[in-house]
Amino acid sequence: MTHNAVVLGGNRIPFAKAGGPYAEASNHDLLTAALDGLVARFGLAGERLGEVAGGAVLKHPKDFNLTREVVLSSALSPSTPACDLQQACGTGLETVVYIANKIALGQIDVGIGAGVDSASDAPITVSDGLKRALLKANRARSAGARVKALAGIRPRHLAPQAPGVAEPRTGLSMGEHQALTTARWGIGRAEQDELAAASHHHLAQAWKDGFFDDLVTPYLGVAADAIMRPDTTVEKLGALKPVFGGPEGTMTAGNSTALSDGAATALIVSEEWAAARGLTPLARIVDAEVAAVDHPGGADLLLGPVAATGRMLARRGLTLDDVALVEIHEAFASTVLATLKAWEDAEYCRSVGLDSPIGSLDRSRLNVTGSSLAAGHPFAATGARLVPTLAKLLHERGPGTKGLISMCAAGGQGVVAILEAV
Amino acid sequence: MTAVVTLDSPPGMGRSVARALLPSRASVARVPEHVVRLAGVIQDRARLADYSRVTGLTLRDTVPPTWIHVLAFPLHVHLLSDAHATVRLVGAVHVSNTMRLQRPVSADEALDLAVHATTPRAHRRGALVDLVARAEVGGDVVWQGTSTYLATGMRAEGTPQDAPHEPFEPRALQGRWRLSSTLGRDYRRVSGDPNPIHTSRVAAKAFGFARPIIHGMWTHARALAALEQRLPSTYGVEVDFAKPILLPGTVGFRAADAPGGWDADVTTPDGAKPHLRMRVRP
Repeated sequence: MTHNAVVLGGNRIPFAKAGGPYAEASNHDLLTAALDGLVARFGLAGERLGEVAGGAVLKHPKDFNLTREVVLSSALSPSTPACDLQQACGTGLETVVYIANKIALGQIDVGIGAGVDSASDAPITVSDGLKRALLKANRARSAGARVKALAGIRPRHLAPQAPGVAEPRTGLSMGEHQALTTARWGIGRAEQDELAAASHHHLAQAWKDGFFDDLVTPYLGVAADAIMRPDTTVEKLGALKPVFGGPEGTMTAGNSTALSDGAATALIVSEEWAAARGLTPLARIVDAEVAAVDHPGGADLLLGPVAATGRMLARRGLTLDDVALVEIHEAFASTVLATLKAWEDAEYCRSVGLDSPIGSLDRSRLNVTGSSLAAGHPFAATGARLVPTLAKLLHERGPGTKGLISMCAAGGQGVVAILEAV
Repeated sequence: MTAVVTLDSPPGMGRSVARALLPSRASVARVPEHVVRLAGVIQDRARLADYSRVTGLTLRDTVPPTWIHVLAFPLHVHLLSDAHATVRLVGAVHVSNTMRLQRPVSADEALDLAVHATTPRAHRRGALVDLVARAEVGGDVVWQGTSTYLATGMRAEGTPQDAPHEPFEPRALQGRWRLSSTLGRDYRRVSGDPNPIHTSRVAAKAFGFARPIIHGMWTHARALAALEQRLPSTYGVEVDFAKPILLPGTVGFRAADAPGGWDADVTTPDGAKPHLRMRVRP
């Protein structure tokens, strides 16, 4: 017997720029704040839930069991199990899919999908040379052997190592990869700045309308998304210098996401669980898929979700016209624009194994409450931000309204999902 | 009517402690009668974050009660550095502490702090003094704490009241904490307590300890951190400091739920003897 997994709601903390108001907080602190806000909102204190799945992209080795430790710091019952998942920027959506799948199979009836990242508290590690020397000294059985092992340490080994920002196989950063895609798809500067300005304006309007009142809890004195610039304009964004793609590049700090700190959670339950408690679900999780492209072989790194979107819609007998709202994660403005172009491009769609192009999207249905350019993008948190946001938007539009989420991720991967208002 | 001395800014600890380090030749325990008050204390979130890391607490918008003790501590030192006082904070033994969080306190609330001392009372090993601290927001008491110090070898009026100690029963441990040699310096940084017996081997020896000992209030905070969200949103907590913990060192931990709250002990690594006994009640 299968069950319907529904989104009951969510909670996140406001997102902020790395090195900003959350500079002193760890992933553990951030995710605990988001989770305890969710627990308070839904009266879950002391309850044993089926499972909490969470993750972070930038993770300290000591945080090997980050989500479980967060559960133990939270007001949930300590007998609530948890696991860490990681699928780069798709993490927050993948955790929701994982929980929804367990609910659909009847293994659990309530769970939380979550994600967190702190670019402020990124793990700095020791060099490989130093690590090997220290481990060798640790294994040494005599003082002489220990001294010999430690004597192998060279000054160059002592420099701390920041987490890698480049794709391991290509050596290119995500921005550099996207600059190639931007040029290949002929995405102009003006349309990128327009999309970025729209993201800020939409997010600011949603905050003004009180849309986030039941989706966000303040933390450390921050009450609203701190990266958001309600008064930005295409002109202001147009004055910024390119940061990717060389002097002729079109990608700037304004139309790329900022390094961010934040955490988000989504409460996923079975329809039966919601009914038993008299709670109104927002939306059903209809389907999801993960896909990947061969970026070491030259494919566009961040267009991984295109094939997944096409296959998932076809499997459900849906077209883009059946989808009222679309959330495309704004890693870069040009990622969204290239994705939209790819959806329309018959040849590209065929090249990733689709029978026909996905279609053309009316922009009024896209990221209607803003997205990562304005809100910020704490890598693993973004998916868990998108799910409750879209679920609430669909619920407002009435039962049966469908929405699509498309998230690109490092490694040429993409995670997509369909939600339907109940 | 008790006199109130209102400070304009947090008292510097250096001079007070220097004075508090001087041995007192007096044999009768005497404490100032006035109240020391400091209004509008702004909480430093960066320091709270550091405090949380050192004590194992999660950084939240609401603060742990032991943090408010840290904020009030400079007033303790200031009060006992008064010329009228014969009880010295350095050298006095912190034997027990109680505090009550009346309501959740946010890190962005400005606190009005006040500290006074109670009349010394007799103890079989000297004189006991309570330092009573209060934190208010807008005239409402949000937190209060009493730190009881034993001035060994001093006299106070009255007959010693031997409070019966609850018998300690060794039980299986649930945890083992390894305390590094730098922990005293780390806690000094976040607490501002510069007492050298926590950081210097020489100073520790002068007071009869083989090695530096960790601050009792670190152990207290670490024990609360072990329970974290299992604690109610407001509660009272009492601790007895039974035996100092030498640094570096290893201790055991155990906790059991008690009516509406928790009983916890920090013990020797074998669980045989207590270092700290803690009772949390709603």
